[in-house]
This record gives sequence, structure tokens and C-alpha cells, in this order.
Amino acid sequence: MERKLRGRGIAASWYGIARTATIDRAGAWAELDDGGTAKIVTGVTEIGEGILTLLAQVAADELGIKPSEVTIGDNDTARSPEAAHAGATRQTYMIGNAVHLASQEAKKHLFEQLAEHWNVEIDTLQSFDGEVWSNDTNLRITMEAAVAICKARGVVPVGSASFTAYGTGLDPVDGSGSPWQTYVFGTQVAEVEVDTYTGEVQVLGIWAVHDVGRAINPRGVEGQIEGGVVQGLGQALMEEYETVGGHTTTHGFAKYILPTSLDIPQINCTLIEDKDPLSPLGAKGIGEPSLVPTAPAIMNAIYDAIGVRMKSLPATPEKILSALKNKTPGRENYVLAAREQRAQAHRN
Amino acid sequence: MPKLKIDLEVNNRKVSKETDAHKRLLDFLRDDLNLTGAKEGCGAGECGTCSVFVDGKLVKSCLMPVAKAAGTKIETIEGLADPGKLTPMQKAFHKTGASQCGYCIPGMVMAATSALRENPSAGIEEIKERLGGNICRCTGYTKIFEAVELARDVIAGDMPQEALEEDAVGSSYIGHNVRRIDAPSKVSGRLRYAADVKMHDMLQLQVLRSPHPHAKIISIDTSDAEAMEGVVCVLTSDDVPVETDGFGVFVHDQPIMARGKVRHVGEAVAAVAAEDLVTARRAVAKIKVVYEELPGVFDPVEAMKSGAAVVHEYAENNVVKHIPVRKGDVEAGFANADIVLEDDFSTQQVEHAYLEPEAGIAYVDPDDVIVVMSPSQNITHHRHMLAHILGKPINKVRFIMSAVGGGFGGKEDMIYQGMLAIAAIKTNRPVQLNFTREESIIASAKRHPSRVHYKMGLKWNGEITAIQFDMVSDGGAYGMSSEGVMRKAAILSCGPYEVHNLSVDTTAVYTNNTPSGAFRTFGGMQAQFATESMMDMAAEALEMDPFEIRRVNMMKIGSKTHTQHELSAASLDRCLDAAEKESRWEKGTPNVRGDKRSDLGGDDTRAPCTLGARFTNDKHTDNERVV
Repeated sequence: MERKLRGRGIAASWYGIARTATIDRAGAWAELDDGGTAKIVTGVTEIGEGILTLLAQVAADELGIKPSEVTIGDNDTARSPEAAHAGATRQTYMIGNAVHLASQEAKKHLFEQLAEHWNVEIDTLQSFDGEVWSNDTNLRITMEAAVAICKARGVVPVGSASFTAYGTGLDPVDGSGSPWQTYVFGTQVAEVEVDTYTGEVQVLGIWAVHDVGRAINPRGVEGQIEGGVVQGLGQALMEEYETVGGHTTTHGFAKYILPTSLDIPQINCTLIEDKDPLSPLGAKGIGEPSLVPTAPAIMNAIYDAIGVRMKSLPATPEKILSALKNKTPGRENYVLAAREQRAQAHRN
Repeated sequence: MPKLKIDLEVNNRKVSKETDAHKRLLDFLRDDLNLTGAKEGCGAGECGTCSVFVDGKLVKSCLMPVAKAAGTKIETIEGLADPGKLTPMQKAFHKTGASQCGYCIPGMVMAATSALRENPSAGIEEIKERLGGNICRCTGYTKIFEAVELARDVIAGDMPQEALEEDAVGSSYIGHNVRRIDAPSKVSGRLRYAADVKMHDMLQLQVLRSPHPHAKIISIDTSDAEAMEGVVCVLTSDDVPVETDGFGVFVHDQPIMARGKVRHVGEAVAAVAAEDLVTARRAVAKIKVVYEELPGVFDPVEAMKSGAAVVHEYAENNVVKHIPVRKGDVEAGFANADIVLEDDFSTQQVEHAYLEPEAGIAYVDPDDVIVVMSPSQNITHHRHMLAHILGKPINKVRFIMSAVGGGFGGKEDMIYQGMLAIAAIKTNRPVQLNFTREESIIASAKRHPSRVHYKMGLKWNGEITAIQFDMVSDGGAYGMSSEGVMRKAAILSCGPYEVHNLSVDTTAVYTNNTPSGAFRTFGGMQAQFATESMMDMAAEALEMDPFEIRRVNMMKIGSKTHTQHELSAASLDRCLDAAEKESRWEKGTPNVRGDKRSDLGGDDTRAPCTLGARFTNDKHTDNERVV
């Protein structure tokens, strides 16, 4: 046998968006401010996934200003509307849509005043990137001027919104129910090289294809996929929190091994945009789903490379070597049995 | 405490200060100079978040006693660029989206800066190796590599400065790669996480943790600790109202501090608030706890057997939650199968390893509102639970979500905020608690380990006729998110396939191990690891391509999920098609054909890494793959 063997594997996956088996909801406030900038306030935001930037994009796009002109308010139970928690792949879906709707309402107040001021129909008004105009006219002003007109007419352009995702509980006997209103799907392919002398596995390539509904910030989505893939890789190959009689033996990063820069495959992301029909933005989520198929894709690739099926994670060098040592030549029993059964079936 | 006078140069300014002799360079920079860009991620030189330059060399400042820094020239993240300005490297991190939670990023920027200072034309392999001492848990490193290569090329003049600016917008900001609005604060080290915040008159809290997995608490004697100079208060469960004590995501089974008994090693037993950290630590060591050890249970299957030690009185069989899902007729489905495969799969407990250990501050504001500021992923629920425990209306309990240095589900549990709040109420002073890495690891929840027994029946054409799926998970000592994790694992169990006959059971069980809780995918990956392994085994047995067997069974619009929810949208067909095309997949049965494949080693893979001398001074030759 050659020392280093390569192989490829695939895994598919699915996931539900937002809180499970319950109604999920999130609130947000929006205000167009003097100077044509905006304030967005919502109860829960950034844990690193990039939601602040995404909310700024959503608000900016709806209001017609630049994302850099959006200020996102504190995450503070005494100062901002309830938006529940930062998890469950719910931020883009729940809070993104709440901010979209709140911004829409703030803009509506602005446009009502401006339409009267200009004596045009409200649906001729548009705004983008700091300008407001009426289609098919020469009327075009800055957002700063538009807000000044609105306020001079006695109206502060504010909006608030709540977004709801409908899920039901599960039947306690047969588990039936509609736990989420929106699902995402994904598929990953892994390419690995296994060193049959040391048992080490290197993942050389990952092709990650995920439905995100609508990619609001494609680079941000890629970042979530890359991070999820590498956490999946860590769980597949090296990470293991161990205890002996309740006492951990992996109490720091010298013992608890994490992926570092030298472990990282080339990650090739492809985003599928199957717009969510049940929400105004059409976006879904990617935080958790990106991790799901990585470990099985890697295990399937290891099998392709060396013919041992790793059924117990992580597939450490020790486990790989032991599996190689105990491997019986030829196909595994279930494969032989299936072939025999099929031959039998054909004979009959 | 012994003092030390130290003279050195920090960010081109002369510094002459008296400081505590025991301090590390990291403490001196953060506590004495208020330069909090360097973070403490592990305190053991393993994660690199505290990286600074000492006389031009990249050093982990948690490993350097401050005395050793005397006479040196220190450069920290704050000193890389003038205030309000960013270096090309920092701009490149901003441009590529290389920062997510941002906690590792000051250290990563220092390491990246060092890489290019050492070799301005470093190739990707050398860059990766020079970043090898810095852990990032969020990004998967890919955008960081891109940033370093971009910075290298811009600095060398191979790419224009404009490459660092944001791309021009088209007709919409949706779908546009807007640069992260929080990145400048992260790449410059300006963003303050909870452990970086100081308040006037603030106390430091330290926690006494259980050394036993299961033991009765006979007595706690805090008198020696309380008598110490500098100690302001000592907390035990006696300071928490007994009627309302208890928190948890689904079941409120966890006391703020152990009450009557401890259920896992590392559980909080008592806490000390003192004028400074060293005093608090010394006082914790003086608390005397008499335990009576109890038999423990450490295996979820053993825990369900009669006679096993009972972890919580309310759950005699130690079951936290069992979720059943039934659909169709499983027996008929198996009877109708041409082949039946049966196997077992297991996954391990996994640590979140966010780079920011738990940290927080609590204080009572002038209007008698108790304020808790921490990197909590669920300020809404924490407010409800703490208000209930303290017997206050929720508008008298305020939670502020500080910048979160990585969460992944691990910061959903209210494992320390209660102690902070009670200490603040008791002392009427701000109180801060910063976990060490070791504390974070033993006290916080892990990903549920799983054991799945799997039985799948299929027709010769690959169609699944029935699945029986049985998963048992070690929930550890407290319920935390176990119920939800079992529910999600059950709902997603059999994967994105329409299975007409199935029987699924997921069960989480109490043991005296470190608790399991929420972790990115919430049970979804454990379940689908088993399913996706079975799908490939079935493909081999049936001599089918792995994409094909998945297409035969995949959910489509109108399919009924395992919980009998009719789908109005489904995109797996598009995902499979795209993955097959983009990976240049060579069709065939998964039968160990790795050595015969022609689709390996393309430009969309990396070269394998072989450690050792393998750098050249030319990025172009370094980048040529050696396969």
C-alpha cells in the first residue's frame, strides 16, 4: 500500500431556521435622523457572525442611505425592544426582517410628508445611497434635506416592527408538527489525504454548497461557511473533551486540540439563493447549517481513501491506525451480504 | 504584594512605573497601562491572543514576567497605527472580512504583521506557518490568509492601494460585500470586551469550584476568608433565595451556587468579592468545605439503569428528556426492504473554545436597577430568570450584552451572571468576574456526545423504506439545553430525505460529567453524521453513486418531513447538482476508489502540509504546489 492515499466523500444536510418548535419573534425600531443618517435599535445582535453589518445593509437598502450611515443601538434589555437570543441561525431571518419592516415604516412616514410637499404620488418616490427622488420628475434631493422637510412638517420619521416565524410544538406521542416555517439544505464534498504510516488525515479541499435564501453579504456568508467547516473539521479529526470519572483530562488548549492555520483546506463556497417565500427579505440563515455536513463528508472521504469506515468521532491518528490494523482484506461484511442478497434476488 | 519599578518603552513612549512583581507583561499592559488590545485567551501561550512585539520579536505576553520586559521596546496593537488610522494589514483584514467575533484578531494582526516584517514576500505556506501559533475559532482562517496576501501585495506595490477600499456599490446594498462595520474597532484592538472594562471602585470576584463529581456539602466555613483584609464579601447558596433559586434554558435545575450537593467537577460552590484579584484568589483558598462523596454516574446508559446514582431528585431514572418521532409503519417498511443495514455511530463531547473566556460586570445603578453586563447570547431569557430568582420585576433587572468574543451556543447558559448580581447587591459596588481558560472549560457546557443505533431498510433502487434511529446523549450534570438539543436532533435525524416509515428516539440523560448544552447545530450534526455515513454505506452496498442515492430519496417541494410537515420549498436538488459540478465529482460507487479517481488534486485544493524547512524567499515558487 502506498503511504499517502487520497479520497473524496460527500454529505448532504438540512436544517431549520430560527427557534425550534415554537413561535419565534423579534422586535426592532428605526429612525431617520437629522443629516440623513439612521438609528436602528434591536435587543440582540452581534456575536461575531456579522449581523451588525447585515442589519446596516438591510436598513440602508430600505431607507435609501449608505450602510456606513446606520448606527445600531445597544443590546440592552432596558433600552431596546425584545429580540430574544443570539443563536438558532435566527439573526438574519428574525432580526433582519424586523429591521427591514421597521425601516419600511420609517420610510413611509418620510415619503408621506415628501409626497405632499412635492405634490406627487407617494409611489413615485424612491431613495438610494443618500438621495431621494420622484420618478419622471426633476425632483431629487439628499436624504438630509428630505428629513429636514419631514421634520419641518412636524413628523419624526420613525418605525417599529415585530417579525414572527410560526413554528408549532411536537406531538408528545408521534412527534408530528411544523417546528419551523423555513428549512435550508446543503451539500459538501471533502477531499482528504491519509498518511497510512502515522494515521494523520489532512483535508485538502472542501466544496460547500448551501442554500441561504438570499445572500445579503456574500463575503459574510462565506465567512460563516468557512468557520463552520473548520469547526466541523475539528470535530471530525482532533477535538475531544475527555473526562475520567467526571474529571476532565483536557483542561486547556495544550490538551484540547483545535484546528490552526496549517489544518485548513481550500474551502470553495457556492451559494444557492432559493428565496424564502414567507419573509419579506427572502434570506434564510447559514450559521449552524454550514457545520452539519463537514464531518460526515470527511469520514466518507477517509473511507474512499483507505477503506476503513470511521464511525466514532474524532477520527484521530490512533483510531485510524487501529482501524487499518484491524481491517480485513476486501469488502466489509454488509457490502458482501448485500451483493449476495442481490444476486439471490436476481436469480429468483 | 512585592513591588517592582520598571522602565521600558511602549509604543514609542517611555514608561516608568511601579507595579506588582508577580505580574506578567500581559497584566502590566492591560491593568497598569490600560492597553487592552492584547487579550487573555488561555494564559498558557497556546492561543496567541496576547501577542505583542518585544524588541521587534513576536511574543506571547502571557508567558513573559513583567520584570523580563524591563529595558525593552514593546509594540502593541494600539501602537501599529496612529489613532483613527489603520495599517495596510489592518485595512486588509477589514476588506476581506477576516474578523468575526474579533477577540483573536489583535493577536492575529500582530502575527500577520510579524510574518511580513520577517519576510515581506512570504508565500502562502510561510504565512500559514507564521500564523500557526494563533487560534481563531470563528473564521476558519480562510479570510485571514486572504487578508495577509492582500496586504503583502499592496505593501509590495503589486496591487494598488485601492484594493483595500470597499467595492463600489451597484443598484442595491443587498448582495453587496459591504465591509464589516465593526471591523475597524476589532483590527485596531479598540473594541472592549467585558474583561477589558474597568469601573471605578470595582471589586474582583473569584469562584470556589467543586473538586468532586458528586458529593454532599456537609458544611462551608467562610470565616477565614471573610476575615482577610481586602475581602468585601463571600457568597454561598445561603445568599440566594431558596424558593426561587434555579436557572436553565428549558428546566430550571441549576442553582446559582451548589445547594446541598455538587453534581459535577467545577461547579460553583462559593465566591469571594475582594478589592483585587490576588486577594480574591487567596480568600477562595481559605474557604473550608466538608464534602461527603457520593457514588457518581458517568455513562448515560448506565445512568438509566435502576440502582444508578440519582443526579437530580426530580428525575429518578436520570432522563432529562426523551423525544419520540413516529411516521408510517416501520415494521412494514423493513418487511418491504430488499436490504437492511444496521450499525452504531458515536460522537464526542466538544468544547466551544470561543477565544473570549466568560467575563462580566454587575452593578446596582442609582435607581436600584441591578445591571449585568456580559457576553450573554440570551439577555432576554437571562433577565427573566434573574428577575425571578431575585424576586424583582424585570424592569429592575437589566442585562447588557457586551461584545461577544465567540459564543457558538456556549454563552447561552447563565452560569455566572447570578453570582455577579448577588455580589453587586450585597456589596453595593461594581463587581467583575473573568474566567480563566481552565475555569471556562470545566464550568461551561459542551456539545452533547451521542451514540446512535441505526437501522435502515432500502430497495435495490436506493429508495429508503424505513429507518429506526435511536440516540442516547450524555447531558451531564444539568439540563441546560438538553431538551432542545434532543428535539432538534430528533426532528432532523434521518436527514434531508423523505422517509415514509420511521421511528426516532432521542434521549438525554443526567450524569456527573461536565454538562452538555447548546452548541452550533444543536444536535443536528450528531444525528446527520450517522445518517450521512449510512447513506454512503448503503450506496456502496447497492453499487450506486453517492449523489444518486441521495437524489432518489431527497426531500422536494411537497415532501413530508419526519415530523410530517409538508414542505413548501426545498432546494436540495440544486445543492446536490452544484456540489457535483463544482467539485468536478467523478461518478461512481463509494467503494475505496480513491487511488483510481481522476478528480483529485485540482486547483481548488491546497497542497498537503509537511512541516519543516520548506520556505523560499519568493512567493511565486512557494506557491507552486509540491504534490
